[in-house]
Amino acid sequence: MSFKLYNYVLSGNCYKVRLFAGVLGINYDSIAVDFHPGQEHKSDDLMQLNPAGTLPIMIADDLVLTETSAMLIWMASKFDSDNTWWPATDAAKTAAIVQWLGFSSDLTSTIGEARLHTMLNRDVKIEKALADGIVALRRIEAQLTEQGLRGGAWLVGESPTIADIACFPYVALAPDAGLEHDDYPAIRNWLYAIRSLSGFVTMPGIHEVHELRNEGD
Amino acid sequence: MVTEPVGLSNNLPIKRVMPARVGDTDIAVWRSASGVVSAWLNRCPHRGMRLSHGFVRGESLACLYHGWQYGCDNKCKYIPAHPALEPPTTIQTMAYTVVEKHGVLWVSLDGTPEIPALFEKLQPVRSISFNCSNEDVLSALAETTLTCDDGQVLSASDMQSQNILILDNPQNKPKLAVLFQKSSAANVTAHLLADNSWSIDGLIRISRWCELVRRRAEIKIPDNRRNL
Amino acid sequence: MAGLERAKEDWYPIAIAGSTVDGEQLDTSLLGINITLHGDKDREISVTADGNNLPVQTRYDHVWTTFSENPRPLFDIPEADEAGRVLVPCGVVRVKCSPLRAVENFLDIAHFPFVHTDVLGAEPHTEVEPYDVKIDETIDEVIATKVKFFQPQAAKSAGDGIVTDYVYRVAAPMVSILYKTCPPKPGSQDVITLFVQPLDEETCNVWPWMALYDYENSMADMISFQQMIFVQDRSILENQLPRKLPLDPKMEIPTRADMTSIAYRRWLKRGGAIYGALTEAV
Repeated sequence: MSFKLYNYVLSGNCYKVRLFAGVLGINYDSIAVDFHPGQEHKSDDLMQLNPAGTLPIMIADDLVLTETSAMLIWMASKFDSDNTWWPATDAAKTAAIVQWLGFSSDLTSTIGEARLHTMLNRDVKIEKALADGIVALRRIEAQLTEQGLRGGAWLVGESPTIADIACFPYVALAPDAGLEHDDYPAIRNWLYAIRSLSGFVTMPGIHEVHELRNEGD
Repeated sequence: MVTEPVGLSNNLPIKRVMPARVGDTDIAVWRSASGVVSAWLNRCPHRGMRLSHGFVRGESLACLYHGWQYGCDNKCKYIPAHPALEPPTTIQTMAYTVVEKHGVLWVSLDGTPEIPALFEKLQPVRSISFNCSNEDVLSALAETTLTCDDGQVLSASDMQSQNILILDNPQNKPKLAVLFQKSSAANVTAHLLADNSWSIDGLIRISRWCELVRRRAEIKIPDNRRNL
Repeated sequence: MAGLERAKEDWYPIAIAGSTVDGEQLDTSLLGINITLHGDKDREISVTADGNNLPVQTRYDHVWTTFSENPRPLFDIPEADEAGRVLVPCGVVRVKCSPLRAVENFLDIAHFPFVHTDVLGAEPHTEVEPYDVKIDETIDEVIATKVKFFQPQAAKSAGDGIVTDYVYRVAAPMVSILYKTCPPKPGSQDVITLFVQPLDEETCNVWPWMALYDYENSMADMISFQQMIFVQDRSILENQLPRKLPLDPKMEIPTRADMTSIAYRRWLKRGGAIYGALTEAV
C-alpha cells in the first residue's frame, strides 16, 4: 500500500485524498474513524498521532501528515509521473496553485462548518458561516468565469491540478449546508468536469455521473 | 407573463441539465444529445424529485431518484424498476416554452415568448446573481463606469426596457447588453452579452466590473463614480 | 395543526443513550415544540418542555420521549435482545424534509441503482420484482415481505454482489425497521432501523440504528457504512417538492414497485397520522 489514511466517510477533507487517489489510480489503506457520533478523532490514540485533533491523518512513508495540502503535494510528487497535477518546476503555476490550496481552507471554515451544523447538528455560528460561504463560492465562480473567458476549464492553467482537487469537495457539498449551486453556472460546469475525470470517486452528497454509464441503453 | 432570460446558451452544453427560476416557479432546463432544449417544472411526477439533479441519456432526461426517463415530448419513456413496461402516456412532465436566441435561453410560462430583437453579433460574457433588488442593481450600475478596449467610457444610464440595459457607443451599436432575470424582490440575475470589439482582457474587465456593481448594490451605499 | 394531536401520542428518539454528560443541557425540538434534555449526575436524564417533565425511556440505545401521559406503547424489536448481535447507534443526521418522506424513502428499493450506485444497486439490475404488502390491523403496522433486489455490496460485511431479501415494517408513523439477508450468517437477518425525530413538519433528525451479526468490521466501519447510505439519501430528500408527503394520489404517480409506499400513505391517512403530510392536492 502506498499510504495509510485515517478516514471519515462524510468528511470533505478526507474526500480530497480519496478523490485524488482515485484519479491517480493508487490504492491505500483506509482506517475508518468514528468522527460522528463517537468523536474518535479526539481519542487519546489519535490525539497522539495528530495533536490538532483533525482528520484526515496520512501515514506516508516516514511522514505523518495532517494538512490536506501537504498530502496532495506528496501524492502528486510521488505518483504523478507526468507532473501535471503539481507542476513543481513551474514557478508561476505552483504559486497560483498554493494560493488556491490556502483558499481551500477558507472553504472548510465556511461551507464545511455550515455543513456540520446543518447536517450533523454541530454548534456553529451558522449565519456567519453561510454568509462567508457565499463569499467563497463567488470567488471560485469569478475565477472559473475568467478562466472560461480565457478558454480554460480549471482553476489554474489549462489542465486540472491539485488546486481543483482541494477546492472541489466543499464547493460540491455546499448544498448539504443549504447553499445551492443555482446561482453559479461556472461552478456547475467545473463540478461536472471534475466528476467526469477518469478515476473519479463519489462521496455521499456528490453523485455518480450517471450520464456516462450505460449510454445508449 | 414576461419572457425571462434564464441563462446563457454556452452554460448549457449538450447532455446537461440546469436549474432556473421564473418568478416562483422552479424549472429544470436541459439539452439533449442532439441539442434539443426543454424547460420543465422542476419536479418528477413520480416522487417530486427536482429534475435539475437528473442526468441526460441521449434524447431523454432521467430523474436522479429512480431513473425514470422523459423524452423531449415530455412523456415518460422508461421506468427502470419495470424495464418491460411501456409507461402510460399520461405520465408526463409539466413543460414550458423555451426559446434559444441571441445566445440566451428564454423561458415563457404561458407559451407566448416575446424575445427582444435587438441583439446581433453579441457574445456571451457571464451570468451573475445579486442578493438584492433590481432597483439596487440599477442604482449601483448608475454609479459605475466601464472602460472599453479603445478607451471609451461606458456608463449605464440608458435603460432600454424593463429588463434590458444597453451600454451604447456613439454609432448606437450596443457594446454591452445586460439582461435582467428577476427571481424575487431580493434576488436578481444579470446575463451579460458583449459585442466583438472586446479582447479577452476586456471581457475579463466586464466580469470584474459586474462584481464591483454587485458589491455596491448589495451594501446599498452609493460610492463615488469610479473608473475600472 | 393537522395531525399534531395524533403525533403527540407517539414516542420519539431525541438522543443516543449515554451521550450526555452530567449537568449538560441540550435544546432540541419535537413536533415544533422546544424541549430540553438534562444530563444528570447518575446518568439518568430528564426531558422538559416549558418547564414540565415529559415521560422518558431508554430503549434501542436511544433516549425516547413523548408528549402524552398515556402514549401508545413503544414498538417491539425482539431481535434487539438476541445474544450475539452488535448494536450500532449511528448518530444523528438532520434533514430538511418531512419526517414521513424520510420514512418513505427508507421503504423504497427502486432508487438503489441511482442513489446508492455500486453499493445497494447498479444498472442494469434495476427491476423490482413483485412483492407482498399488507396493513396488519391487529398490530397496526405496514409490512412488506418477499422483497428482493440485486445488490453489488449489500452490507459492510458483503463481498460480491448478491440478491438480497428484505422484510420491511413500519412500526409507527416515523419508525421503519428492515430485516435483510445477513451475508456472514446465512439464515439470520440483519436489522436496520430508521428512527425519526420530527423537529417540525418539514425538518427532521434521523437516528439510524442497527442490530447486526458482524464480527469482522470495526464499529467505525459499520457506522461509516450506514452514514454513507443515509447521507446519499439525504441529498434526495432535501430536493423533493413539496417538502411534506402528499397523500392525495393525484399529486404523485406511483408504480407497482411503490406498493409499500402506497400502503404507507394509505395507512397514515386512515390513522390520521398526517403530521408532516399534505392531505389535499396543491
